[in-house]
Amino acid sequence: MWTEPGATRRGLLSHASRGLAGLALARLLVEDGLLTGEGRRPDHAPTAKRVVQLFMSGAASQCDLFDHKPLLTERAGEPWDPGESVELFQSAPGVVMPSPFGWRQAGESGRWMSGLVPRLAERVDDLAFIHSMTSRSNVHGPATFLASTGFTLPGFPSAGAWVGAALGSANRDLPTFVALPDVRGLPPGGPKNWAAGFLPAQHQGTAFQPSAAEPVSHLFPPADAGLGPGQEDADRALLHSLDEGHAAARPGDARLRARVRSYELAARMQLSCPEALDLGAEPRSIRELYGLDDPVTADFGRRCLVARRLLERGVRFVQVWCGADNGFPRRNWDSHEDLERDHGAMGRSMDRPAAALVQDLKQRGLLEDTIVHWTTEFGRMPCSQGGKGRDHNPDGFTSWLAGGGVAGGRTFGATDEWSWRAMDRPVEAHDVHATLLHCLGYDHERLTVRSDGIDRRLTDVHGRVLHELLA
Amino acid sequence: MTTLALLLALAACPSWAQQAHEEPVWWSLVPLAPGRAGRVTEDPWIREPLDAFVLERLRAHGLEPAPPADPRSLLRRLHLDLVGLPPTPEEVAAFCADPSEAAWNAAIERLLASPRFGERQAQAWLDLVHYADSHGFDKDKPRPHAWPYRDWVIEALNTDLPYGEFVRMQLAGDVLEPGPGVVATGMLAAGPWDFVGQVEVADGTSEKRRVRSLDRDDMVATVATALLSTTAQCARCHDHKFDPVSQEEYFDLQAVFAGVDRAEVAFDADPGTAARRRELQRDLQELEQRRGEREAELAQLLLEAPGARGLEGERDRLLAALPEPDRTGSMGWHSGLAQRPDELRWVMVELEEAGPADAIRLHPANEVFRGHAGAGFGLPEELEVEVRSAEDAPWRMAGSWQRAPGPRSAANAPLLFPVEEESVQAVRVTSRTLFDRGGDFCFALAELEVLSEGSNRALGATVRASDTIEAAPRWGAAMLVDGRSPHAPEQAPLDRVESALARVRRTAPGAARVEAELTALLEERTPLLTALEALPPQRRVFAAANEFQGEGRFQPVGGGHARPVAVLARGDADAPGAMSAPGAFAAAGHAAARFELPGDAPESARRLALAEWIAAPDNPLTWRSIANRIWQRHLGQGLAPTPSDFGRMGVPPSHPELLDHLAARLLSSGGSLKDLHRTIVRSATYRQASSPSALARELDGSRRLLSHAPRRRLDAESLRDALLCLSGELDLSMGGPGFQAFRFEDDHSPRYLHGEVDPRDPALMRRAVYRFVVRSVPDPWMQAFDCADPSVLTAQRFETTTPLQALALLNDGFVLARARAMAARVEAEDPADPLGRAVALAWLRAPLPAERQALEAHAETFGLAAACRVLLNSAEVSHVD
Repeated sequence: MWTEPGATRRGLLSHASRGLAGLALARLLVEDGLLTGEGRRPDHAPTAKRVVQLFMSGAASQCDLFDHKPLLTERAGEPWDPGESVELFQSAPGVVMPSPFGWRQAGESGRWMSGLVPRLAERVDDLAFIHSMTSRSNVHGPATFLASTGFTLPGFPSAGAWVGAALGSANRDLPTFVALPDVRGLPPGGPKNWAAGFLPAQHQGTAFQPSAAEPVSHLFPPADAGLGPGQEDADRALLHSLDEGHAAARPGDARLRARVRSYELAARMQLSCPEALDLGAEPRSIRELYGLDDPVTADFGRRCLVARRLLERGVRFVQVWCGADNGFPRRNWDSHEDLERDHGAMGRSMDRPAAALVQDLKQRGLLEDTIVHWTTEFGRMPCSQGGKGRDHNPDGFTSWLAGGGVAGGRTFGATDEWSWRAMDRPVEAHDVHATLLHCLGYDHERLTVRSDGIDRRLTDVHGRVLHELLA
Repeated sequence: MTTLALLLALAACPSWAQQAHEEPVWWSLVPLAPGRAGRVTEDPWIREPLDAFVLERLRAHGLEPAPPADPRSLLRRLHLDLVGLPPTPEEVAAFCADPSEAAWNAAIERLLASPRFGERQAQAWLDLVHYADSHGFDKDKPRPHAWPYRDWVIEALNTDLPYGEFVRMQLAGDVLEPGPGVVATGMLAAGPWDFVGQVEVADGTSEKRRVRSLDRDDMVATVATALLSTTAQCARCHDHKFDPVSQEEYFDLQAVFAGVDRAEVAFDADPGTAARRRELQRDLQELEQRRGEREAELAQLLLEAPGARGLEGERDRLLAALPEPDRTGSMGWHSGLAQRPDELRWVMVELEEAGPADAIRLHPANEVFRGHAGAGFGLPEELEVEVRSAEDAPWRMAGSWQRAPGPRSAANAPLLFPVEEESVQAVRVTSRTLFDRGGDFCFALAELEVLSEGSNRALGATVRASDTIEAAPRWGAAMLVDGRSPHAPEQAPLDRVESALARVRRTAPGAARVEAELTALLEERTPLLTALEALPPQRRVFAAANEFQGEGRFQPVGGGHARPVAVLARGDADAPGAMSAPGAFAAAGHAAARFELPGDAPESARRLALAEWIAAPDNPLTWRSIANRIWQRHLGQGLAPTPSDFGRMGVPPSHPELLDHLAARLLSSGGSLKDLHRTIVRSATYRQASSPSALARELDGSRRLLSHAPRRRLDAESLRDALLCLSGELDLSMGGPGFQAFRFEDDHSPRYLHGEVDPRDPALMRRAVYRFVVRSVPDPWMQAFDCADPSVLTAQRFETTTPLQALALLNDGFVLARARAMAARVEAEDPADPLGRAVALAWLRAPLPAERQALEAHAETFGLAAACRVLLNSAEVSHVD
């Protein structure tokens, strides 16, 4: 969305004199769709049209949520000895620590779910689990970038930017990619996690903060700006006539026309954004479903509900963050000190809204072509840190997918008996990204943009589609 | 779509690819060939030699150049291109009245000489080397001394530092111009720096190796991309797939930077001061060596003095018998805190009256702080004791002390300094290297005693100090002489032994001679130290450094050494192969790829060798690269439209001879960038109108043939500067720390809260090049207008058109404040016709009758500020014809 196609590249074509330059030009032309916001034609028939990513910032523990290993209970309190040396981020390995939240079987599949997520347990047959996730970094920032952009270094486009650039816009009054950060603050790396990188700025995620006084930056003039009644419309009308005159004196310049139109779109956003963010019209049953009236679930619930409303209105990719950056007291999943206390709080705030989103999308028929992707940057150790906490574990953790062509109830990969290392078919963020793009109709190896001399992909030089999870 | 299909078919045609293989040398690697002028040399349209190349190509395609732009558009374009600010209505009026060649050239010279020129041109360079004022990564900590490099770039471009020199300085300024030159190496340090990986991750882990390798990778990428338009970084995991750079050569490039880290260093802004400091430090070092030799000799003599051994044994026995220290009650004297260990801290005790003394004894404090061992808390690494015999007598050195290397285990022991003088009136103790409290520095002592016949004459004397933390009941100046030290009650026997020991030592055979020599050496030292202290204070910069103050696990290589660099299989830090040696790549062809430096050469020789390799006049890439970039700034796109990739995956130049002509001209002018700017903006090509003819639009819509000028949107910085310019609030003060257009919250992870500032804050009125650039959290207003992302090397900004831009320009508090200020300005400047003045400022012309009518009606209803808001939002302000 957002922009007019730039100058044509036909001129380039006529002066491509020789050799590989022709290939380079061909590539530029193919890229054009990505660079201008028109979108790219799919490589195959898609099963999904949009994605909502629930990102647990700070590293949510697989062995306290979804990855049940009875050995942790059997050996509780014994020194942890997996049979080889263990290099941890902060600490030396402590004793084997079972989850304080207990486990119970759920759904038709009878899969084990933590007592911390009773609502998600009710939806378990809609979810497809990847238990063999791994990360290339043991540090929050790089690992978060890896999960959101495919690279551990900053500066690369977020998965949402790629998806928006590929699909183009389905609604010219709203951004294609929206990030909904936690009310407590931004995740490690901040807006770089929803940045456009080397893709044009129109593909960057627009951050909405539904609870803030100004949910969308610059949407309205500040209250103290002292604009008179009716001035907003009058200002815009006058500007429109002046800019029309300016453009008319410079015929044939598409960008000047686009600029006039961008002010019209801005005016429409002033209506469409508040409308999308206004939960007043939602019935009582929906408010209850998402837990909007319970202070524990209100913030994440509000943002999950906003996510659904945005998806309904044509937004292609919504990133909902659960947890902020590192700080004390803990405001994310990074429970080094006291897992029961800190994972307890995060889990209770996440469980009901996440389950509500899956259920709500399903009852509206939206889950069929919407992918829900629950993830985190890495997992946590099966042993204790300082008695009550858990340290980082990049070698094995869990993500789950639902909807959009994903077969609910399936499981991919597994960790070892400790829930420590991915043993069966290890998976990286690239594989999940490749799978998301596949469901959206794109071959992740063909969706490229040239930057600093390299044909960049969301999946770098990696990635395989996890066909085993697809219906 | 037809075009695309055709192109794909052509591109896939084997003969094309074959041709590429057969081609002996790729265009960018062919030696520069100046003097191939265009065939059309006689044409009235031609203003500068470069025009001939353009005209020839245009005519070959059946096109004619566009007519010249009108004087108003032309002057505005020139101002915005050269200095990044719009002209005044008066300047435009004058040029419209006399748009002669002489007036045009005069305007060019005026702008090239303006300090605003460097500010404008520096921005493009800072984009290219991804400059920012914070480190990036997840704990995006501020980088408070990055700005001297930004100022250096501005200054270098303003003084027209020859380009070869500009290159050399940024790679090896620290050796080319010892002292201030280190600032230029801020280029190597401009990119992100991984605080967690560098400071917190332990050495010897694969994470650490990865962090260091990626840090050097960024330096290689920055240098190769910015200076050579080469994507050398593509050869990190394997040989470059398209260009002749092998993986070995890539790691040879990494080896060039294996001796430096990105770090904050102190420097002398004046080369003379730097030279003087080095001289003094060398003399001091030499003196210290001689003193060390004498000290050793003296120690030996004292050991052999009659009776000394017995007394020493007795002393050791008494010391060993001391019980656990008393950490209650008074601790002693504590200096103010220092940020650096070399800051000056001293304490002085003045006795009531002059009198005899055997020795000065200092008792280390014993305090547990931040987990630091209690014994010896606050005791400087190195200190000096001086005495004087009367208030007006000179200070004489009584002795100095340096902590022995190794653990601080014996720090309970008091320090004893025998006194030569007949009479002592005052004692002064000065720290040379302060105690490290862990993050900051201090000097503390439990007790200072002046011993005479076993009694302490300093009890209750007057204490003065450089500064003191008064924190009764534990710390205070008076507690230095209150008779309470951690071991005070048990010390009477020790006092007697130490007094006796001091007397024995004083009379040891030969000791007097050595002590006299030592005193002489110490006296020699005083003027050196005084001279060092008298030098102007050093400044600080974040730059490439071999030696610096380390932090945690981030420690310098030091000593001019370099870390070993190996070729990493698949770029994997855990799979090292053959060792690398400093070098570049052979394909450039103008010089040997390996630098062949002597084995004992300092690491700086590597950077210097690369600097010379790049800045060599016959390097085929360097001069084409910069000529193409300067061209791009004025004509909207480079002759080679992939300015940072002159390789096979880039797009070759539309006018290769023209590019060579510009590169050769730059070389023949001695590397004068201003001369290159001058010839471009003087050209007829540059002065064309930006509206293409119908034929030109058809045949040259992309402007690759240069059939008309580009119409452009102002970039984020120019737009912000223009708003301030029109409101009359622009603050043109240059240099120094960046202004912060955000509220900063220091935290475990720092937070930068953009927008939470008063838009009327005078600090915000400076040019945007002086803003504090946060790497992780971009300023949303600047970001909306496609400002560069300092995580990547930006050679060309995007120019998008989005509704977020409309919202940012309509509703940002900063813009609205400018509209109000502009209204106030025009009312003051032209009370009779403020609206006319506002339009003149914004559009540099008089309004059309319909425009005037509409604007006046609007101002009447909603006020002049509303009309100014509309003007500031208008396309005629944001776009350049």
